[in-house]
Amino acid sequence: MKDSIRKYIDQLHAKGAHYVDARWYPREDSNFLFMWNGNLKENNASSQSGMGVRVLYNGAWGFSASSDLSNPDAIFAKAFDNARIASERVTFPIRLAEKEAVVGSFNSPNKIDPFTVGLDEKVAFLQKIDAALNQPGVVQRISMLQFVRKQIIFMDSEGSEIEKNIIEVFPSIQAMGIDKDGGMQRRTYQPGRTAPTRGWESIDETDFLHNADRIINELNQVLVADDAPNGKMSVILLNGIMFLQTHETIGHALELDRILGYELSFAGGSFVRLEDFGKLQYGSEKLTARANALEPNSPGSFGFDDDGVPAQDNLLIDKGILVGAITGRQMVEEANAKAKKQIFEGSSGANRATSFYRVPIERMTNINIDPGTDGSLEDIIANTKYGLVLDGDKSWSIGSNREQFHFACDIGWLVEDGQKKQVVKNPTYRGETLPFYNSLTAVGDESTWNVHYVDNCGKGAPNQIMQLGHGVPVCRFDNVQVGE
Amino acid sequence: MSNQVINLLQQLRQSALSKNLKALISYHEEDSYLMRFANSAISLNTNEHLISLDFIAFDGRKKVSYSMIVDPADLASMEKGLDTLSEMLPHAQALTYEPTFPVYERDVVDERSFDPALAALTNEERLAYFNTLAEGLESDDVKLSGIFASGTTTTAQISTANEYTQYFRATDAQVTAVLSSESLKWEVNAEQSAQKKSDLDAQGLHADLALLVQHYQQDQAAQIPVGKYTVVLGPAATAELISIMSYYGMTGGALMQGYSFLKEEDQGKLLFSEKMNLMDDPREVEIYAQEADRFGLQRKPFPLISEGRFQAFMWDQDTADEFGKTVTGHDVSRFSLVMDGGDAPFATLKDLLEMPRDEDILYIPYIHYMNVVNPTQGMITGSSRFGALLLKKDGSVQVPYNVRLTQRFYDFFGEHMQWLSEKQVAYNVSSSYGRRDPTALKIPRFVCVKEIEISHSNPSY
Repeated sequence: MKDSIRKYIDQLHAKGAHYVDARWYPREDSNFLFMWNGNLKENNASSQSGMGVRVLYNGAWGFSASSDLSNPDAIFAKAFDNARIASERVTFPIRLAEKEAVVGSFNSPNKIDPFTVGLDEKVAFLQKIDAALNQPGVVQRISMLQFVRKQIIFMDSEGSEIEKNIIEVFPSIQAMGIDKDGGMQRRTYQPGRTAPTRGWESIDETDFLHNADRIINELNQVLVADDAPNGKMSVILLNGIMFLQTHETIGHALELDRILGYELSFAGGSFVRLEDFGKLQYGSEKLTARANALEPNSPGSFGFDDDGVPAQDNLLIDKGILVGAITGRQMVEEANAKAKKQIFEGSSGANRATSFYRVPIERMTNINIDPGTDGSLEDIIANTKYGLVLDGDKSWSIGSNREQFHFACDIGWLVEDGQKKQVVKNPTYRGETLPFYNSLTAVGDESTWNVHYVDNCGKGAPNQIMQLGHGVPVCRFDNVQVGE
Repeated sequence: MSNQVINLLQQLRQSALSKNLKALISYHEEDSYLMRFANSAISLNTNEHLISLDFIAFDGRKKVSYSMIVDPADLASMEKGLDTLSEMLPHAQALTYEPTFPVYERDVVDERSFDPALAALTNEERLAYFNTLAEGLESDDVKLSGIFASGTTTTAQISTANEYTQYFRATDAQVTAVLSSESLKWEVNAEQSAQKKSDLDAQGLHADLALLVQHYQQDQAAQIPVGKYTVVLGPAATAELISIMSYYGMTGGALMQGYSFLKEEDQGKLLFSEKMNLMDDPREVEIYAQEADRFGLQRKPFPLISEGRFQAFMWDQDTADEFGKTVTGHDVSRFSLVMDGGDAPFATLKDLLEMPRDEDILYIPYIHYMNVVNPTQGMITGSSRFGALLLKKDGSVQVPYNVRLTQRFYDFFGEHMQWLSEKQVAYNVSSSYGRRDPTALKIPRFVCVKEIEISHSNPSY
């Protein structure tokens, strides 16, 4: 197949295509097991294969994909034709930032391929966890396992040829109960990076049993708790909500395609402007954020992006100042041209597609916040006059330019005069992105930092789901509106 | 109807029988086209042709499934899929209830929502449509974005119980056009849903966009005070609210899982505005309705809210099996929700702007990034986006910066509902995250509600 792909790429290049690439997925497997109250409601395996072809012609993209590989020529021809039509309406001819031709490979770290583990063993794990969740106060219990294994062959007209073999493992558990006012409450546990590899071996039964007890204990406190207070106060965000705050208001806001207006008809834009780079006080001096696709063992680390650019670690916000973005080859060229100066030196290697039948777009890698110097969680609480410790991503809603947000959490703990007090239920908070990050007054040290995995980041038209990570510490923000 | 599809299903049925499998075999084919615009150019022109198969095998209380995106010529791979099912089944855990095995009682062929002309739409036609809707509205600062998504979806099912098959084919299109100011960062939009080619009306979108651009360029933009407003919802806002409300409130699954803001004893109670009528109606071709569900049950008009009274929950097969309920024909990938219009004569944006008024009215066409803050309270949050207008009682118009509203479904569809447009429109809410699944609602063009609380108001665009 590779020889055929190379032949078709060369043919289109000879016909006038400026650039051609193909992503061939010989096979992608997934396995999803979902247990609800002891019933294995989903016991699904799936597979897919196919090819996506991207053609740049006269400054415009065309893309075509098919699962029918009996006639690959048709996929290439259709992609070329799509580009030809697109080139009839071009305002800024697409150019691609320079890159070296790469011949390489990437294998995500794992010891035990989860697809070699028998169904019996997986079901037994779920049964054990379900039994652990079946405790007083819990009226609904969920445990699930999701595994993905994909092989991707990337080839382009610049001579690159990359093979990636990626395995993803996403387990999670959830316990739900009815509170004293009749409302449904929940606590969840989705492990982040718990091991140096992420094959079947990363599913640690002891860790799950421990966390099942923890979330049930917390849930039972929520069930009898009063509502969270309203008003302005400090919020101390634990990893289980800080990852999402980072995701929605730093990650998405700094995708360069969004900044340049390429997402307006679907997910929205960004308040960030090209002239902001190097100048904008995004947050307080305690805020340093980076896009680190080299973070060991995370879904946001993938070796090479789908432009064929090697993974990198790049600063986004340096001590509060905006310095970088999440970029691919096309967008950095357009941004530099529009800004009439070189803001970006090259692609940051963040152009990814969710499958063979979707086109690569700027996606988050591991969007991390560097740990700070304000000590442990206990230290931060001890230095807080009045506020809430918050955890759990119950709901999230973000303004169309990522300029404001509203989050609801699963649990809150009241903090008064440096003391962690009782649990409160239904906590929410909202804010405007820049004032919020400029009110960052404490960033936890390494002891509070962990990589949280995300398996469901949606973006793009047509829509794409992507997997990534967020390494975040505990953070405290002051003067935040809580309870609306 | 494609004999090829039916033949493939018959072939796979024979194969499943030869492997002693009791199975449901489902076929999904999509021919999807998407032309995406950004910065006044075509930023992407794409098509995907994908064929998927879903196998579900049953053995008493055991059930396993296998899904594949397949090369239609590669029968050997499909056979392997069935083999995988056979391997999985002995290791499955028995359910605590007996899952129903589908036994079809007739052949179903439903192509009411298929339009050959829309299926054959060309790239040139998609481009011409966008050129028309944007004609004269773009400038160095005002740029065109949007999508023209269209395609054909074919689904079919067979079970090993007998040779009857179900076959459905639909065409759909979804157009979103956005004009945005690069310097000021405002955006306005207009949308259109189509089931057939003749539904496409580029001139209609042009008229709406021209009106909005005029106001966004000429009228004063302002941070409006927080507080209570009389709000007119546009079709996008209403469709998404109804869609989320029905999913979180009116399905048997949400009820039994404890998420619903409605309770079993609420059936028959007057909980919503008496102006409110909502039905799941499989007769509505323009919203891609299907006449039978996945288990072969004939779908019938199913009232959800009648003159404000909540009528009944919708039950899918698995939930009904588990909790001993009667199925209602709702084992479907999409509902066919129809909200009745009222008696208000406002059918266009122009009508709304010219409407006589004795109070300020906030027009919110679209609620961005809606999410459920508290499902058991039926509370959502979201912010305005795309072409909101403050219609002042003196007849002037202001452009509000985006606002946030965090409200309950009852706040929108309860006692504060004022009026509904007589005119109904189809609004396409299809998501393209997974397989193509054309989904739309038919809803009043405008819905007016009093006392909607605006909790946050942006200080700028």
